[in-house]
Amino acid sequence: MRLSKDNVERIQRALEGLLSEEENERFQADVVRDPELRAAYVERLWLHSSLRSEKDRLPEVFEGEPLAERKIVRFWPSIWSSILTGAAAACLTLGALFLGFGKPALLQNHVAILVQADNCKWAGSDLPTAIHSRLGAGTLALVEGIATLRFKNGATICIEAPTTLQILTAMHCRLIEGSLTADIPEPAHGFTVDTPDLKVIDWGTKFGVTAGSTGHSQVRVFEGEVEVAGSSKVKNQRLHKGQGIHVDSGYSSPEQEPARGQQVQDTNGWTSIPTSFGKGKDGYVRRGDDGGPMGFNPLLLVKHSDLERSYKNERRIILTFDVSQVTPGSLTEAQLFLDPKPSGFGFPSLVPDSRFAVYGITQEALDEWDEGGLRWGTLPASTESGPDPQASRKLAEFWIPRGGSGSVTVRSEELATFLRTRTNGLASFLIVRETGESDPSGLVHGFASKEYPGATPPTLRVR
Amino acid sequence: MASLPPDPGELTEAYLRLLATIERSLATYVYSLVASGSDAQDILQEVRITMWKHFPSFEPGTNARAWAQRIALNHILNYRRSERKRPSLSLDEAFIEAIASEIDRQGDRLDQQSEALKNCLRKLPEPHRKIILWRYYEDCGIEEIAQKSQRSVDAVYRLLSRVREVLQECVQRPNTHPSVL
Repeated sequence: MRLSKDNVERIQRALEGLLSEEENERFQADVVRDPELRAAYVERLWLHSSLRSEKDRLPEVFEGEPLAERKIVRFWPSIWSSILTGAAAACLTLGALFLGFGKPALLQNHVAILVQADNCKWAGSDLPTAIHSRLGAGTLALVEGIATLRFKNGATICIEAPTTLQILTAMHCRLIEGSLTADIPEPAHGFTVDTPDLKVIDWGTKFGVTAGSTGHSQVRVFEGEVEVAGSSKVKNQRLHKGQGIHVDSGYSSPEQEPARGQQVQDTNGWTSIPTSFGKGKDGYVRRGDDGGPMGFNPLLLVKHSDLERSYKNERRIILTFDVSQVTPGSLTEAQLFLDPKPSGFGFPSLVPDSRFAVYGITQEALDEWDEGGLRWGTLPASTESGPDPQASRKLAEFWIPRGGSGSVTVRSEELATFLRTRTNGLASFLIVRETGESDPSGLVHGFASKEYPGATPPTLRVR
Repeated sequence: MASLPPDPGELTEAYLRLLATIERSLATYVYSLVASGSDAQDILQEVRITMWKHFPSFEPGTNARAWAQRIALNHILNYRRSERKRPSLSLDEAFIEAIASEIDRQGDRLDQQSEALKNCLRKLPEPHRKIILWRYYEDCGIEEIAQKSQRSVDAVYRLLSRVREVLQECVQRPNTHPSVL
């Protein structure tokens, strides 16, 4: 039997669901009527269905690993899963039998697959991180890059570094910190993401959730509707397309002053000076100012946007280092080290690779700013539009790629030159972001301040 | 004298052994008649439970695959009847029954093709493996594959159809030389 080209085409289109309603009706009628077409269709349908039903084994087949013969034991997990469900329904007692076969393998069933991982670096994950890995319950810690997980129920979750995500079940995840965007099709409605502050329950939507490392959570609905089940700080509510909510449950205490840090000299002649050393200080400001003075926040936040709706969210960082213990005139090299941390504000996918600039504050009198009173209006050497050219000088630029979260070390000749001119034992810098965002919900970059527990504060390294 | 009721442990083991021999073809059967993968999984689960319930009345030595497929077809038709509100996924009942009886008719031949599939997949060149993984393992639609592979939707459809036809040819003639792939 030789199948006509036209019929091969119809069958292939039928397998992909590409026939119009009318074409499909005619095709089905022809299949019922014509035994040759029916036989050819069933052969191809069987192949297509074999690939669908055996999909989980495909990577194994392609890897060419010798496949074990299909021994009975390979099937027990799914069989047990069915039997147990059935047993519950039919009140059968299979418990005693069940124990005879050891730990139920169904508990190890995978619920999602890591379908994409672009330039990813992982740390502290107890789940496999190779592309196409099958993921059960466990934790993924992404330190660099963007990764996509597809759940069995069709939910697609994209996580952007730095993010730690705990998979609990096929319908439930916990975002420990970082950010994710979710695309939830109908079979997965009810998919739930917990953050330390919120519970987000999907009702057919695309949405984003962030969880900051110091207690901020944000939800933004791109399409459809989600339900936010609150904590003591948030009431239960439904959010629709374009709506968002932000919760600040930061555990930082404005009155809390961290232990003062030490200046450290290493064997290569580098001296490391953290902002926690001596008279060092750090903080950030936001144009909207409603967060109050930001001199004691564990995070240093920075953002720039050319969008009108983000105008009030412009943020700038200021750092002052105590350089009184080094001899400025002898410095030949200088580096500025920053430790990025998830801010809990905004989504990395809405900002491009970001460029930042470091300005040195040239007027020494401006080094005497007060962390307790740091606000937009009191930020030294600044104007509405940016660092004041009369009181500061651009020393260096650095980039953070989208999804990037590795530590930042800024080096420039200008940095050392600027330090050599210091006469009052202090050196202050402004850090601004120069690139914007495509949506007002774009990422706010965050770095550890000296108040951040366990992290490296901004550090100046000189020799 | 009436025979003793079967020992529950032995019964369970016999059931598991039987299920193991037909599991793959049963899954392919259900996937052939149900468009949605998650629905197919649910139906398979129900089928296994029904089989377990009726296993004491199954006569050893009779055609287990046909028995399981009959149970599965009933579940599928019931599912279709309850899903009438979703005509876009509809496979007309007469059509389903025609396909079911054709699968039954081709029975062993289809099983042989399934057996040959693994080796045929291994003969595929890398780009063809990739499209199979995207389409089946990741369950991507053609448009999504087009985006991933930076090809047109039509080009992806053509390639996927061609790869499936090549596999079809191979499973029917498993000794085909790899060069035709």
